[in-house]
Amino acid sequence: MSTPYYIPNTDVPLPPKNAEVLTTACDYCIVACGYKVFRWPTNSANGGPKAEQNAFGEDFPVSVLGSWVAPTQHNVVMHNDKPHNVVILPDKDTTVVNTNGDSSIRGGCIAEKCYNPQTPTRDRLKSPLVRIYGILQPVSWEFALDIAAKVGSHVLEKHGELAYGVKTYSYQYIENTYAITKYALRHIKTANFTFHDTPSNVSSTPGFRDAGFDNFGAAYQDWHDADTLMMCGTDPYETKTILWTQWIMPAIQRGQKTIMMGPRRTAGVAYSEQNGGLWLDVNPGTDLLVVNAIARTIAENNWQDADWIKDWVNDKWGSNSGFGQGTRNTPWQWRTTWGKFQTAGYEDWKKWLLSQKEFTVENAAKVSGVDAAKIRTAAEWMAKPVGGVRPKTSIMIEKGFYWSNNVGNTQAISALGIICGAGGRPGQMIGRAGGHQRGGQGGGKYPRNASPMKVPGRRRRALDTDTWTIAGHTRFAHVIGTTWIQSMCGSQQLAESFQKLVTANPHQVRSYDKDEIIETLKKRADSGGMVVVNQDIYLVDPIGAQFADIVFPAATWGEEDFMRANGERRLRLYSKFYDAPGDAKPDWWIIAQLAKRMGFDGFDWKNSNEVAEESARFSRGGRKDFNMIKVAAHREGKTLHEKMRELGTDGIQGPVTMEDDGTLVGSVRLHDTTRKLSEAGAAAGNVFNKKLTHFNSQTGRCNIQKSPWSLFSDYWEWLKPKGDELWCTSGRTNERWQSGFDDDRRPYIHQRWPDNYVEISPVDAKARGIESGDLLMVYSNRVPGLKETTLAVEGDDYSFSGQMKNGNVTLTKAAVTGVAIVTRHIKPGVLFMDFLHKSQPANALEGRIVDWISGNYNYKMGVAQVKKIGESKYKRSFRTMSFAPRDII
Amino acid sequence: MTIKKTLESPVAGSDFPVSHNLANSEMAKSDKKGGKCLVNRREFLLTSGATVSVILLSGCAGVAANTPAMVSTYPRKLVAKLSELKQDEPVDFSYPDEGAYSESIIVKLGVEGGGGIGVDRDVVAFNNTCTHQGGPLSGTYKGDTKSLGACPLHLSTYDLTRHGILISGQAYQSLPQVLLELDGDNIYAVGVFGLIFGRHDNLQG
Repeated sequence: MSTPYYIPNTDVPLPPKNAEVLTTACDYCIVACGYKVFRWPTNSANGGPKAEQNAFGEDFPVSVLGSWVAPTQHNVVMHNDKPHNVVILPDKDTTVVNTNGDSSIRGGCIAEKCYNPQTPTRDRLKSPLVRIYGILQPVSWEFALDIAAKVGSHVLEKHGELAYGVKTYSYQYIENTYAITKYALRHIKTANFTFHDTPSNVSSTPGFRDAGFDNFGAAYQDWHDADTLMMCGTDPYETKTILWTQWIMPAIQRGQKTIMMGPRRTAGVAYSEQNGGLWLDVNPGTDLLVVNAIARTIAENNWQDADWIKDWVNDKWGSNSGFGQGTRNTPWQWRTTWGKFQTAGYEDWKKWLLSQKEFTVENAAKVSGVDAAKIRTAAEWMAKPVGGVRPKTSIMIEKGFYWSNNVGNTQAISALGIICGAGGRPGQMIGRAGGHQRGGQGGGKYPRNASPMKVPGRRRRALDTDTWTIAGHTRFAHVIGTTWIQSMCGSQQLAESFQKLVTANPHQVRSYDKDEIIETLKKRADSGGMVVVNQDIYLVDPIGAQFADIVFPAATWGEEDFMRANGERRLRLYSKFYDAPGDAKPDWWIIAQLAKRMGFDGFDWKNSNEVAEESARFSRGGRKDFNMIKVAAHREGKTLHEKMRELGTDGIQGPVTMEDDGTLVGSVRLHDTTRKLSEAGAAAGNVFNKKLTHFNSQTGRCNIQKSPWSLFSDYWEWLKPKGDELWCTSGRTNERWQSGFDDDRRPYIHQRWPDNYVEISPVDAKARGIESGDLLMVYSNRVPGLKETTLAVEGDDYSFSGQMKNGNVTLTKAAVTGVAIVTRHIKPGVLFMDFLHKSQPANALEGRIVDWISGNYNYKMGVAQVKKIGESKYKRSFRTMSFAPRDII
Repeated sequence: MTIKKTLESPVAGSDFPVSHNLANSEMAKSDKKGGKCLVNRREFLLTSGATVSVILLSGCAGVAANTPAMVSTYPRKLVAKLSELKQDEPVDFSYPDEGAYSESIIVKLGVEGGGGIGVDRDVVAFNNTCTHQGGPLSGTYKGDTKSLGACPLHLSTYDLTRHGILISGQAYQSLPQVLLELDGDNIYAVGVFGLIFGRHDNLQG
């Protein structure tokens, strides 16, 4: 990578009047702001500062909020093999999502994402690579694909589907995810499959699923319209900025009461507090106690929404009627038949809640570190009627919350939402805020019954691909668009296994001959080793740089027409506007070539629109059902992508239905109990899924569930800091997206965040002699990991204590470095790091123990010691980083 | 003394002005007193290895100046007296002209800052308009954090000790830093580092 020093420009080219304009949306966070790409050839004149001279029709200097072009919004790209200027600005005309044309720092810099060999993007993967004599060398597509297909087919035949691992992003556009899942799940049929953010293919929010809530039922308008908005485990200003600035911040100015829960007081929290909001500063992992203490306060005072509960909450018979998928072998069934969660309705739940003494406000306050008065105030704001009128309450959760105590927290918050009347009305919704965008479209069904992993009884759980791989069962790993290793908990354990299985295996390619290479890699797999195929836009260390035998270069945002939805299910076309570098190809194409070579049918697509059109019918009934867009398009003699292009940055919110006259109708929200659908029912190709107007349960009503602390407390008690340890948790910083794959190549962002950092409170820092800018070693001798799938017979064996007792937990060490930021915005006793700096992976310190009920990691749970090992070069220079707190308002 | 812009630059399309005083203290310790005509070209340029032709400092003898075609010129403007600046009390001025978004502040931080002048290198100046969407930052200086913001529009904050780098928020570049020069007690603004919001060229306001 070249030296990404930031040199600010003092002028910028303006697009001329005749610049071409294409619509797209930002590639990064869940909000997916609408953007416009202005494109003109470099050999034609730039626009001028007068309104009649530029594409914006605005005089420069522009007015506040105007179409200003920051230097980071300009780039030079190849289009049809000719150099073109592009200026990429938020859509100033949009009335949805990023109203007023607002943009985050991520989207604001998105022009710099584009490949331009004069910028640090010059190391984009441009050719397929095969590791020969230890070096990844450029080869032809045919050469690389033939090897991958032959070795893959061999592993399938000789070692079976479970030896064929596919680890992929879940979101990088509908066309790609459809192709990948069609290949992995419909054809290979492997249970050794999961997405980028979880070791097993499981729901991120099991409690929502059991309650009947979709993760993304709410509209951004709902978060705005709530009288009281609770936000758990996220500061939307930090991670989905425009949702905050355009929808929540104006609501706060209007008088919305906000309750924010998490250990950091970042700018959104500070703003909320400044405007009278509550900050529930929980210790990591104790959210459940606070949520249930709030619920208990509401129940004790009879502030629950009794009418809502009467109409929309299942009683004993309702909750016994299954989960809409049949009653056997479903996540619902595993959980409820233990009797640990299922209730006979509100009164039964209340009886249980009041009988659990850990949920008293006093105890919750003591363990969580949250002031008892705040817990009581939160209960009042959420549910106490004022003058006979109930507050409209909405609840938003995200990873700080659901990745701390995955099952427990999501069960507890669902119940709290239900008693507040949230879930199915305007301004009264419950859901996730979201992380990445929603671009998943299933092309096959996960073969859960093929998984060797189980929970009590004979019930299957999705395969934990990390433990499975560490145990040596994965012989062929196809890794698509994810770092895999650093993204997972206890990542240094995973890295060690990759070294053992891949690099330390004696069968390494030392030949120019394709057949010999294939034979060598087959021997690797047969000898208990692992062959790694990696597909990405950059060479990622270590999965690509150290471990991959074959690397496929992928084309990405702006280099192909793609479709995707945002956090309110808004579907848009992301236009291709420039040529992908070198031989890079979109993932759907790569998968199709590989699948055809492996003998699978149905991969003869000619372009991404054909993939999208094929996938449309499989979207039916889902939250972003776009099948009727295709129907409308064909009726009008257009392709699906052409129709999507017409919808521009407004797009349309799924699920989409069509009126008789061909008008497309989006869905503002899911579970909308106020929505009136056609009385005649779904005609023609329309599908009216239950979730449009009811909840995702068998009865269409919510299940109110118990959320016992005891299912998690053994792990929490074991893990909590001992001696000199502090909680060590992690998350995302506004300025940096995911692994920093683009940000590390943007000089300005790299200058802001060159290395991983460690936020530490002044009191904890002083005790350890740490100052801002010091280089720290953050280390732990207590990173637990599971050795084998599960070693269990009885129900209790599956708990953390049970696994410890059965000898299935190994304790490992981990260490990562980071630059100290001594700051008032983090709670004492807690360290916070960026979750995914590739070279300093904070996840190494988090316990590699899946939530024993859901199969998810609790990524936010770890402890560490910390000591100064020197001074970083940033401590006494002024160019790079800032150590100022993030709560300045 | 006049700082000129040049046509040639390390990044296509980028023109940037230069002043020795922005050369950071960590690099220009020899010029501790400030006010001397000292060009620290190599140190000033944040990057190395680029072909940079640069810098004409009129009246600065002995400086090998490469002088490509001049396209525009930053004025040298008296903006404050060093002795009159009080710690953490920003003083307003306009620069590089009186046009839109020329509002700037000069402030004595009380701690050393990047590009700072004065004995303690703690006097810095910045454009006062948020580089995100043009929100006014006047009145948002915080002495405890040496910062500007939060911007009333979308809450961006900037670290004045570190060349105006974004602390938290939405802007995609630092706050433009006004380059200062000290001559006796007089502080002159002589250039701007970074594009001012709303403009397509700093000198065409």
